[in-house]
Amino acid sequence: MENLNIKATKHTPEVTFDVDKHFLELKGECYPENITNFTIPIFKLLKVYLQHLEKQTFTVNVEFIYFNSSSSKMLLDLFDILDKEVVNYKKNIVVNWIYNVEDEDAEEYGEEFEEELESLTFNLVSKKYL
Amino acid sequence: MLSNLHELKIMLNQQGLFFCFGGPISQELMVGIGDTLRNKMKFDDADSKTIVKVFSMFVEQSQNIIHYSAEKTPPGSEKAELSNGIIGVGYDNDYYYVSCGNMIHNEAVDSICEQLTRLQVMDRDELKRYYKERRRKDSHKDSKGAGLGFIELARKSVKPIEFNVQKVDENFSFFSLKTTI
Repeated sequence: MENLNIKATKHTPEVTFDVDKHFLELKGECYPENITNFTIPIFKLLKVYLQHLEKQTFTVNVEFIYFNSSSSKMLLDLFDILDKEVVNYKKNIVVNWIYNVEDEDAEEYGEEFEEELESLTFNLVSKKYL
Repeated sequence: MLSNLHELKIMLNQQGLFFCFGGPISQELMVGIGDTLRNKMKFDDADSKTIVKVFSMFVEQSQNIIHYSAEKTPPGSEKAELSNGIIGVGYDNDYYYVSCGNMIHNEAVDSICEQLTRLQVMDRDELKRYYKERRRKDSHKDSKGAGLGFIELARKSVKPIEFNVQKVDENFSFFSLKTTI
């Protein structure tokens, strides 16, 4: 299993998927024309990674400045996959939803994802940007 | 025929439009314009919340044109590179607004009008519920985000979405909408 690193562009986030450190981070802007194409390698690696994940805690940080409506569906897919791992296999997974403290919409988006989930630990983390 | 672009500029200014683009629009173009719009609003001392809202409406509306405009370049091609439409951003009576327009097939008119009319009468909580319901329903399909984009616009707009459909000929109609921040 190899790590996955994708550099940020103006409309796609930086992706850091470190399988040895059990860490996935999506950070930046997210409004590509086709979100499915962008996320194919992430979901592919995630599937393999989750099969190998045992007792360790897998941390997933999502820190988006802006994401479009199709990316919102992608995020729900991602959180659903993680939620099922927790529900069905009692895996230790923590999601940190990191948002600008001044952006109440971003906080609300986080809450709305949280409401959709059954057992996944989903932390709302406010951050002050300079 | 417009003989003088100054006349066009005056017309746009009268509407409060500080940005307007009409023609073939691509993702790359949208990303560039989006950047400029954010800078422009920063110079105008708009707060960061408003800037994100205007920007998000600009992106949703531009991508709506990119995905759904029936006017393609080159014309008639199914896998066209470019979609034609018009998009504007303005400031009028203390509110920002974002407006877009593009050709649609006449067969699509009823369903679009029905969707938007339904959203116009929903309050904040109803919009939230409907958004979550639609996101859940469509989440495993390879959809371009149809429908969800409109709900997102309705949720962010301080007034119900205004829209208009005008028949052009037996095949096409011109569809436009406006959201306010």
